[in-house]
Amino acid sequence: MGAIWAEVKENRKLGEGIYRLTLHAPAIAPKARPGQFVMLRVAHGNDPLLARPFSIHGAAGEELLILYKVVGRGTRILSQVRTGKTLFLWGPLGRGFDLSGERPVLVAGGMGIAPMAFAARWLAAQGRPAAFCAGLPGLAGWEHLARGLEEELAGSLSLAWSSEDGSLGRRGLVTELLSDTLAAAGASSGGVLACGPMPMLRAVARVCAQRGVACQVSLEAPMACGLGACLGCAIPAAGGGYLRACQEGPVLAAAAVDWERV
Amino acid sequence: MSKSVDMAVTVGADRPVRLKNPVIAASGTFGYGLEYADQLDLGAIGGFVTKGVSLKPRDGNPPPRICETAAGMLNAIGLANVGLEVFLGEKLPKLRKLDTAVVVNLYGEAVEEFAELARRLSEAGGVAALELNVSCPNVKAGGMAFGCAPGPVGEITAAVRAVTDLPVWVKLTPNVTDPVGIARAAAAAGADALCLINTLLGMAIDARRKRPRLANLYGGLSGPAIKPVALRMVHQVSRAVAIPVVGLGGIVTGEDAAEFLLAGASAVQVGTANFLDPAACLRVAAELEDFCADQGVTAVADLVGGLAA
Repeated sequence: MGAIWAEVKENRKLGEGIYRLTLHAPAIAPKARPGQFVMLRVAHGNDPLLARPFSIHGAAGEELLILYKVVGRGTRILSQVRTGKTLFLWGPLGRGFDLSGERPVLVAGGMGIAPMAFAARWLAAQGRPAAFCAGLPGLAGWEHLARGLEEELAGSLSLAWSSEDGSLGRRGLVTELLSDTLAAAGASSGGVLACGPMPMLRAVARVCAQRGVACQVSLEAPMACGLGACLGCAIPAAGGGYLRACQEGPVLAAAAVDWERV
Repeated sequence: MSKSVDMAVTVGADRPVRLKNPVIAASGTFGYGLEYADQLDLGAIGGFVTKGVSLKPRDGNPPPRICETAAGMLNAIGLANVGLEVFLGEKLPKLRKLDTAVVVNLYGEAVEEFAELARRLSEAGGVAALELNVSCPNVKAGGMAFGCAPGPVGEITAAVRAVTDLPVWVKLTPNVTDPVGIARAAAAAGADALCLINTLLGMAIDARRKRPRLANLYGGLSGPAIKPVALRMVHQVSRAVAIPVVGLGGIVTGEDAAEFLLAGASAVQVGTANFLDPAACLRVAAELEDFCADQGVTAVADLVGGLAA
């Protein structure tokens, strides 16, 4: 029950501005499911004040993995945290991916790879066939992560890359790779599961809608509590009103989102 | 540390609200309480105040609704809530089972709406007190528009007083020149206690994008940044009115809570700190108990108004 202090086992730089944090979190890791998140305070004291939501990148035994990119003050402070320090967090929170369907297609754009890699490993561990379309800006800065993922998933999932500069896999956007994959794969009940920047998710939702494929998207929003209380993380809902990214999400059916108002 | 401190307090004389300890979770930061059920023992906190309930459900403002500021945060949620019917049908039955004081914050766009909400909530039972929200800075009608002058605050308080025997607490805005005049109007109209402060109206700008950080443009500032303003107003108001004051604004630690009691508050509310630590109310109460034990204070109520001259 409640928030915990977790020891930092490793805070490793994987590329320029990209880090992987390993926490000893026995109260959280065994319960974590792909698509869920934790609220993590990057420092003690009153500034920065709020916890940040981080999607869970993996859970093995008592260890919890968080993959993050330095995008602002909070993540910059986090990137400087040393092994042996303790961090305050609570979770796992929110609704994760529904991975029950046959042969799902996973789609990741940029840092969206954090939860999608967790989902891929989850499926691989159960010996379930799936396709994984992962898009990056380019290999620069991401090589360690990309090669690591290839090794981990070798022989279990069909992993295909796209990059905007053509340095890894197909040149172009991951949505194009997804279109080809869906065209080749035919119908399956697993649908498409995606995480990435909002324009990418919007495009993925459109591609899936056109093809009549069920689509789940993992969204992010500014949030303070992660518990459904602050109501900060409002996502415009199809049909009016809002959904809470932390409660009804962060994984939502693409059809439940009002993409015009997002 | 030995815990021999009497932590119980009573807010109000004519319609007393007895609390196990003086730490109450503040409206807007604790949902309907149930959101925190997995995070802490709700029966162990002094009480909590629900998110503002209005007659009809409200969607709230477009996002972004919150942003972090120096030692604080801005919010412009816009009083999103499930509305009275869902509150009575789905939330309150669960809240009645809790062994803690459930205070319902209510919000109307007209005097009659406040009265209607108060009447229905009184009939429903299981409510420890009503907190009138005449201080929300993020809505176009009602809220702070009512709370900035003694006239409307007195009128709303009197209208609610006329229809309920529940304790009526009035939550006041700091965004005024003279909080004392407004506090006196609420007291004269029959309020049992005053809660202050609500958030300070503020703004944040993303200079690189040349855009406001909140879709609503302005929002309410809360967190440690506002504590000095809150202490000043609690001090000012508590010595001007005979009814008790519930102090809030930036409380994160037990010592913060002690400062509010010394300034004249009979109890405190913890708001933004619930976002930093879901069990903040329990921690603040435990730290306050330790503080009392440390200082040789045997009953926390003895701190109230105990500021040295």
